[in-house]
Amino acid sequence: MSTLPEKTWAIGLFLAFMIIPIISSAEDIKSSDGSVAEVFIQNLGDKALSSLTGNNISDQERNKRLRDLLNDNFSMGTIGRFAMGKHWRSASDKQKEEYLSLFEDLIVDTYSQRFREYSGQKFIVKGHQEISKKDTVIHSEILPPEGSADDAPSIKIDWRVRFKKDEYRVVDISVEGVSMIVTQRSDFDAVIQRGGGKVEALLASLRDRNNGEEPKEL
Amino acid sequence: MVKCFLEQKVLKLGLILCLCISVSACTTPHTERFAYTAPEEISDPLETVNRAVFGFNNVVDIIVLEPVAKVYHVIIPRPVRNSIQNFMRNLRTPLYIANNTLQGDFKGAGTGLARFAINSTIGIGGLFDIAKKQGLEFEKEDFGQTLALWGVNNGFYIVLPILGPSSLRDASGLAVDIYADPVRLYASNTDEDWIYYTRNIIEGVDTRERLLETVSDLRENSLDYYAAVRSIYAQRRSSLIQDNVSNSHYYIIPDYDEEDDY
Repeated sequence: MSTLPEKTWAIGLFLAFMIIPIISSAEDIKSSDGSVAEVFIQNLGDKALSSLTGNNISDQERNKRLRDLLNDNFSMGTIGRFAMGKHWRSASDKQKEEYLSLFEDLIVDTYSQRFREYSGQKFIVKGHQEISKKDTVIHSEILPPEGSADDAPSIKIDWRVRFKKDEYRVVDISVEGVSMIVTQRSDFDAVIQRGGGKVEALLASLRDRNNGEEPKEL
Repeated sequence: MVKCFLEQKVLKLGLILCLCISVSACTTPHTERFAYTAPEEISDPLETVNRAVFGFNNVVDIIVLEPVAKVYHVIIPRPVRNSIQNFMRNLRTPLYIANNTLQGDFKGAGTGLARFAINSTIGIGGLFDIAKKQGLEFEKEDFGQTLALWGVNNGFYIVLPILGPSSLRDASGLAVDIYADPVRLYASNTDEDWIYYTRNIIEGVDTRERLLETVSDLRENSLDYYAAVRSIYAQRRSSLIQDNVSNSHYYIIPDYDEEDDY
């Protein structure tokens, strides 16, 4: 190595220091860093369990917190649109807007109830699986509160997160192999089909549901 | 006697169904067997009849099953309920081992065998799931899953009276599982049919108790309860079957900013 002039070394070192940050920042941008996605989900789950569960907050406050959590961490547009499936294209802009808002209300209401009944559960991330360039599935479990019977069942939850515009957002949640948005899409599709293929049938049903009325038997 | 006759009929029908779908399976191109891109899709040509049976089941559930399950939940403490479930599962384990073997899943069969040996002895006749603590997890393997791994498609969606959601394939599988059920065989050979029926009733109540929250959640939060249950059934079955397939398939969620005309 002593045959190399000192200058070459200096240039080499200089280049190395220039390149290392470029490579490492390129790694940051890469979507496929599953461990970062794992941290994202662990934080999200912990936050949800700590801020949304229990009886010490009012339902109104719980709803508000959940709505913020959803809008900050979920890709609500993608979820809502997927759930409407092929009918999205036949909806007018006004209908789309009303639908997305009703859909968000439905999700907030549904999960708010669920979190109210939770208390003392633990959330652990078990691993991840990259399923496409953008999407990673994070495997997690909700463990029953400590002190309950030791073979009380835990719940397996898979989070599908999408890396886009330098941030992670949840696009689907699956519980024991059952996907939330796939189920919702079948549900909504049936409502629209039975309502003569009209998007308005879905909107009416969502309005009824959110106003606490029994969905009409079609 | 009438009961026996009926049973024979049901079994015969099941076997015929089985043959029919086995034949249709052979004509299915191999590549289509595991296309799970749309897991919720199960064809439902009998929807009108299915909805009627589903409605009937729902009424029976609200009047009888759910209240019984609630009482069971209140009067039987959780550890006892868990032991009941362990016991019931242990009784079915020989059947699951058989299915594992038929699926060519010898590792699964080994796990089942070890579970059965450990839980039947140290676990006091199956009351305690000692094997689980040793990392031997319970896995349900019915003949419907076996048929699926042999390449049989769902066929179409069927809602069975009382028993609930099923498919042509899974209902045929169920008939075979009922036929091969060691408890049923034992009960009918010893003329102690009550054992079989009591087991089924307890198992039914126990299963319903575990679904109390899920079902009331779903009833409340779905717009079309029938369609939601159908979708969940299809997804759940596909996920149970995929446990045996190394690479699971994920459906596509489009990136709507990029493909605007999805």
